[in-house]
Amino acid sequence: MNKPPIIHVVDDDESLRASLIELFKAAGYGVREYASTGDFLLAPPADEPGCLLLDVRLPGPSGLELQSGMRRHGIDLPVIFLTGYADVPTSVRAMKAGAVDFLEKPVTREVLLEAIRRALAYDAAQRAVRDSARKRSARLQALTIREREVFDRIVEGKLNKQIADELGVALRTVKAYRSQLMIKLGVNSAAELGKFAGLEASPLGD
Amino acid sequence: MMRIFCRHAIPDTGLPVHLMNLLATLRKAAETLIVTLAVTGFLLAPLSAIAVPAKSVLVLYSNNRLVPGNVAVDHGLGAALQNTGERSVRTYSEFLDSPEFSGEAYENLVVSYLHGKYAGSPPDAIVAVSDDALGFIVRHRAQLFPGAPVVYTGVPAKVLQTLQPLPADIVGVPNDFDYSSTISQALRWHPNARRLVIVTGASWQDKATEARLRRELPAVMGGVATEFWSGLPVTVLQNRLRSLDPGSVVFTAGFFQDGDGNQFNPHDSAILIASAAAAPVYGPFETFIGTGVVGGRMPSFEQMGRQAGQAVNAIFAGAAPATLRLPTSTPAPLQLDWRQAQRWRIDEKMIPAGTVVHFKEPSVWEAHRTEVLIALSVILLQAAFIMALFIERRRRSAAELTTQNLNAQLAHASRLAVAGELTAAIAHEINQPLGAIQTSADAADLLLQSNGDRREDLLRIVTRIRRDTVRASDVIRRLRTLLARHEPERRAFDLAAAMSDVAMILRPEAERRKVTLDVRPMFAPPSVAGDRTQIQQVLINLVLNAMDAVTGLPENRRLIEVLIERRDANARISVQDRGCGIPGETLPKLFDSFFSTKQQGMGLGLSIARSIVDAHGGRIWAENREGHGAAFHVELPEAVAEAVALPSPL
Repeated sequence: MNKPPIIHVVDDDESLRASLIELFKAAGYGVREYASTGDFLLAPPADEPGCLLLDVRLPGPSGLELQSGMRRHGIDLPVIFLTGYADVPTSVRAMKAGAVDFLEKPVTREVLLEAIRRALAYDAAQRAVRDSARKRSARLQALTIREREVFDRIVEGKLNKQIADELGVALRTVKAYRSQLMIKLGVNSAAELGKFAGLEASPLGD
Repeated sequence: MMRIFCRHAIPDTGLPVHLMNLLATLRKAAETLIVTLAVTGFLLAPLSAIAVPAKSVLVLYSNNRLVPGNVAVDHGLGAALQNTGERSVRTYSEFLDSPEFSGEAYENLVVSYLHGKYAGSPPDAIVAVSDDALGFIVRHRAQLFPGAPVVYTGVPAKVLQTLQPLPADIVGVPNDFDYSSTISQALRWHPNARRLVIVTGASWQDKATEARLRRELPAVMGGVATEFWSGLPVTVLQNRLRSLDPGSVVFTAGFFQDGDGNQFNPHDSAILIASAAAAPVYGPFETFIGTGVVGGRMPSFEQMGRQAGQAVNAIFAGAAPATLRLPTSTPAPLQLDWRQAQRWRIDEKMIPAGTVVHFKEPSVWEAHRTEVLIALSVILLQAAFIMALFIERRRRSAAELTTQNLNAQLAHASRLAVAGELTAAIAHEINQPLGAIQTSADAADLLLQSNGDRREDLLRIVTRIRRDTVRASDVIRRLRTLLARHEPERRAFDLAAAMSDVAMILRPEAERRKVTLDVRPMFAPPSVAGDRTQIQQVLINLVLNAMDAVTGLPENRRLIEVLIERRDANARISVQDRGCGIPGETLPKLFDSFFSTKQQGMGLGLSIARSIVDAHGGRIWAENREGHGAAFHVELPEAVAEAVALPSPL
């Protein structure tokens, strides 16, 4: 772990916020603190591992409003809600909007750190998914137009002969494109190629 | 004996005065006669023919007409004679002026005078007043008024005995001057008396009196030494009287002549004796009352006259004189000069019932019975009224005390209710620092588990824990100040500081409700005198009401402004909201008990607020603001400059 994930704490209560910061620092995390949603949006976090600990009730826009607005601002951090007043409608709304957890104050260290761990794990997983997707699309971008036409038809489950007929090229040429694109996409077998294709929901998407 | 009575001192200047008196008397009698004849002749003659025929009475007095005893007899006699009503009785009075005038020649002169005077109209009856007059009549009746019946009065029984046998048509009531019983009464009133002094004079009448007393006294004297001071010159007598010791009692019947041959009458001599005596003086004559004499058994002269008049009436009515049933003697009641009784300390309880008491100032009660009764009842009514007012006052102050207690209890209950309303916010307000403390402790725990020197971090965390502890306990202390029951107190406090505490208490609730509570700061805020907690309670109430008014509105209208200003000598605090305002019809009822527009309101908050503000001598009112919302104002008299604002109890 060369760089620790960063916990972003948004809470208007100074003492609670400060104590949370101390706790996360003691637990070995990086921390950033904000007194309001506005503060958070004015200094949006860089794209690095972390999570967001958000008070539901905040002066100005609430935690829930921040949660729904984060996507528009291209911020993709898992959110843990921390609240003094846990009412059911609020927590349901928060969870539906994708919060990883909804904690009620006062919260024990175990529960809080466990929630942080889960959020960070979720963030890491999300981050990995996003990484691989980004890599795949980069590889697909590297294919020539001919290679891409061949790839698309393989993904559709067509045989080499069918592809040769469709493209009006020789079977041998199709086989050459096929081995060429397998090298480019970094797959070693037809099965791996099928898996790569399966993950690619939208062949021409980004 | 009637001649001895004379109230007014007649100058003893000799005969000419007496002659003038006689002439005046004669002239007056003549005038009376002329007038009477004229009236009878011209006016009453026709009437008398029909009615009872008029009668005439000649009253013959022994001595001078101005002697007080004679005046009294005349009074009683006239009253009795007029009482009959049906018969007209003419009364003629003649005075023998004894003892100044006496002797055979004088008597003959009087006889011829009366003979000539009454020849034309002889009286139908004669009244002889006192012994000299009776003796004169007995001697000269046959010559003057033959056949006229005679009624005597004021004649002692002993004198009558010397005149016996009297003809059957000479009748009357004997009287007696009872010296003995007067003396024994005097000794009863002065039980400590050891010495009795009898004062008599030098004339032959005085010597007769002395002789009588020497005869009678041994019978009534107990262990009292009796002395006779007889015939002393007045100067000597008075000196000896002045040196009398307190254990003495003096008795006198007055005297006519002293040892130096000076003439007196009993009344005047009684004045000389009583004025000098250093001991109480008693006497037997009614006329002595007022001379300084204490009293005695004294027949009433007026009563004598009345008895004589009644006898005359009976004779005129046709009764034979001999058949009249007359009393055996004139009553001699005990008479007393009250002033003298006081002077000589006669025990009031010792005064027998029936005693005629003279000169007794009627007591206020006797003199002004009605006025006293009215005054008394007014005083009583007043007292009752005052009592009633007093009781009412006590009752009211007790009631006020009860009301005050109830108000304090109610205010407390209302504060508790407010606290209930604020529970969520309060819990939050306490939970925040508690949660922070817990988290800080967790952090410290983690640091201790880790390797390496984290001393600085730990120190920072401990400081933080302390700060949060203070914060939590502050919240609780503020709440306790608000919620604790305490006796209402009165001291000066800073209104703005009190409001800022209120804002701290309400801040979490405001945040919870997303209401902005804007307390405008003020430079040199006013201080007011009173109970800080109660005033804070009023402010909390107003702010909470304002929160209720704006909850549910768009967030930009959820604003409550609190302004503190000075208005004249008052401090005014206003709580304004941007809600929907107060409906016009509820505005006047706003501060009434049990009036509420809220679903769950008891309707006591504002009524308690008003009673608190009233108790502080201030006023509270509400109004709608122009545009939106309502404003509640509380005005309290600003504390005087000397009243130093005390530090906030929080």
